[in-house]
Amino acid sequence: MIAAIRRLGRSLIAVGAGLALASGASQAKPPVERFHAAVERARAGDYLGASALFDSLAQAGFETSALDWNRAQVADAQGAAGAALWALLRARELDPGDVAVAREIDRVREGANLDRAELAPDPLAAVARASRQFGLGLVACALLALSLLAHAALKWRPDTRPLGTVAWIALALGLSLAVVPVAGAFARPTGVVVRRGAPLLDAASPTAEGVGTLREGEVVPILAASGAYVRVEDSSGVRGWALAHDVRDLVGAPRRPS
Amino acid sequence: MSGRGRAAACAALGLALALVLGADCARAEGTVRSEVDQRRVGVRDQVQLTVTVESSSLPDQVPPPLLVDLRVVGGPAVSTQMSFINGRTSQSRSWTWMLQPIAVGRAQVGAVQVTLGGTTTGAPAIPIEVVAGSVAPPRQAQRSIDPFGSNPFEDMFGRARPRETRVLVEAKPSRTHLFVGEPLLLTYYLYTQASVSGLQFAEVPQFAGFWAEDLTLARQQGGEPATVDGVEYRRFPVFSKLLFPTRAGRITIPPATLRIGVAAQTFFDQGFEVTRTTEPVTVEVKPIPETSGYSGAVGHFTASAAIDHPTVALGEAATLRFKVEGRGNLKWVDRGPELNVSGAKVYPPQVKSDLHTGPTGISGSRTWEFVVVPQTVGALEIPALAFSYFDPSTERIVEAKTTPIPLRVGGGGVASAVAPAPTSTPGGARGGPLRLRTDLGSTAPRTDLPGAVVEFAAVAALLLHGLLWGGGRLAAMLARPGARPAPRGGRGSMRDLERVGREPMTKEAAALLIEKALHAAFGSLDGGDGERARAVRALLEDVQAVRYAPQLGDYSERLRELATRTAELVRKWA
Repeated sequence: MIAAIRRLGRSLIAVGAGLALASGASQAKPPVERFHAAVERARAGDYLGASALFDSLAQAGFETSALDWNRAQVADAQGAAGAALWALLRARELDPGDVAVAREIDRVREGANLDRAELAPDPLAAVARASRQFGLGLVACALLALSLLAHAALKWRPDTRPLGTVAWIALALGLSLAVVPVAGAFARPTGVVVRRGAPLLDAASPTAEGVGTLREGEVVPILAASGAYVRVEDSSGVRGWALAHDVRDLVGAPRRPS
Repeated sequence: MSGRGRAAACAALGLALALVLGADCARAEGTVRSEVDQRRVGVRDQVQLTVTVESSSLPDQVPPPLLVDLRVVGGPAVSTQMSFINGRTSQSRSWTWMLQPIAVGRAQVGAVQVTLGGTTTGAPAIPIEVVAGSVAPPRQAQRSIDPFGSNPFEDMFGRARPRETRVLVEAKPSRTHLFVGEPLLLTYYLYTQASVSGLQFAEVPQFAGFWAEDLTLARQQGGEPATVDGVEYRRFPVFSKLLFPTRAGRITIPPATLRIGVAAQTFFDQGFEVTRTTEPVTVEVKPIPETSGYSGAVGHFTASAAIDHPTVALGEAATLRFKVEGRGNLKWVDRGPELNVSGAKVYPPQVKSDLHTGPTGISGSRTWEFVVVPQTVGALEIPALAFSYFDPSTERIVEAKTTPIPLRVGGGGVASAVAPAPTSTPGGARGGPLRLRTDLGSTAPRTDLPGAVVEFAAVAALLLHGLLWGGGRLAAMLARPGARPAPRGGRGSMRDLERVGREPMTKEAAALLIEKALHAAFGSLDGGDGERARAVRALLEDVQAVRYAPQLGDYSERLRELATRTAELVRKWA
């Protein structure tokens, strides 16, 4: 009896492993191939299929500036200005130095009749982006380490006066540069309104009443989250709750499309 | 008209008829008054706002004033008054809104600006105090504001005997059988044998089932003769509306009641007011056959299309104007034709109208302007565009079509890379080839450190620097509890040592200076047995030997030597 149970267990494990391998095989295509397949679909006009492939790549951790650029092009071709802006802003987060992305953001923003300030509600976000663009956090840490090394060497060789100067200068520069990434860390999380006429509600509830509508493509600070709702503040200062899938966050892991 | 038609409808229209002599002394300019019935109201009360314009040429509408903490709950009701005083004509038109306060506090009705004959005239803003609850007294039955409506001698002598008046009103439609969307002219006529000093609708005329357009009546001096039931009158058109039925079936325009002020006919007569009611008007409205792609237009129209630049460079835009011209309900038609040009991006159109309303209907044109941005070089073709409308004379849907227009696209310069998007067009690029990236790029994690890590590193660096700087002293203090840490006197000690041999002083004073410098630099050396402690103690013994030795010779060389040794020790160890 026990032997039979063991045989059954082994069979179940074998079947499970087979299923896992089979399901993995469909995902086993290299990401570059899947990316190219998505590009071909977009060129052929299959925007939905291309979007699905791009999204699956992002979910799998292969989100790059180029992937987000293509997502933006596909969304723009579908007339979804909010989703296009979201993808472009994510591309800018991933590669702040990409000038083409900055130009494309301006183009889509003007097409959506949005003011430049409506895409930048929190100035600290720009500070954080500048820090990432120039790697200021790494540079600051390197300078602080250098100052410590110089100070330690001065203790070991007190008669080497230049080491003291190096320690002081490195410490001052390191602390000055560290201010930028530290300030950027205080930026509020933001999201992009991806639905035209997305309602702004007075409560995080299906029975809540609307207090206004959000502009498609507008970047709003996310103040809180509760279930399927996020609390946001629009450009006129009105606070309310919006459906989470109407406001896609700009930083953090990509959200699985609903 | 859409705004006015949406409102509570036109209210009372007054028209005094010029049965007396006198030229129309029209004034070139006018006045504007803005009034509210009360300036202190409860939040549950309502405020009546009246804007009155007095001028020789009255505007059809006035812009509603800006409201602060007030909202419109009714109106505007429009009434027109005309009076003749000493042979002089004056006319005024009033717009009345009912306002509801939104919150307790200070509310305001903004300033009113009206352009009269090229001159802008205005009325100032009106502040309103809003308190909690309600402060309005219970409304009493309103007395007639018509000066002819009451007789001050009635109470004294009893009510005056009723007078026999020959005044009639009539609502006359231009036709009673028509299609949905066809125009119907409804005119209210006044038949009178006496001088009339005022005329007002007692109730707002309702035109349910119609889209209504206001019409301006031509001034008619003296009216026209008319006979009703064998009695001769003078007939005056007092009010007319152009109505477009919006649904099929039998539609009845309800009767309208008018209050008519009859002017004094004798020296002792004060005039009086009579009330007259029109007959209801019923019209039969026929439906329009259901056809797919029908624009909703009814009338007679022609369509044409033109492009501003038949040849453009790649990257430049051309504008296609699709114009529909004719007579009918073109005001209703917003949706333009669908335009798709192969090899070009087409942006949603802007709509421009040049329409005029007259007694026979609305005439003019409507133009849809499409921005076309070619995406390829070569010969493109803008396809034929169609506009379908219902022709009531043939009772069928007719399609007006344009001819295809060629568009030649030449090689462009740099601009061809990115087509300019018009700022007024919402959305982004639609259609045309997508500018896709084919290199996925690096998915390596970001090289920069998060702000929290940098913050931690900065604090740690500061702490480590502090430890390196004061750690030795702290360790010595912890190793020997109670021992005094070495004072920070390296530079001061060196300055004291430089005085030895440079300034005249006794050997005791010089030795004392050196001894102090040693103590200042190294502190107490009790118990220490390191290299530094031994060297300092040896030097200290030499200094004390010189200090307490008898004065048997010159110790200046010896003291300089001790000072030099002390300085070296301080540099090396302190």
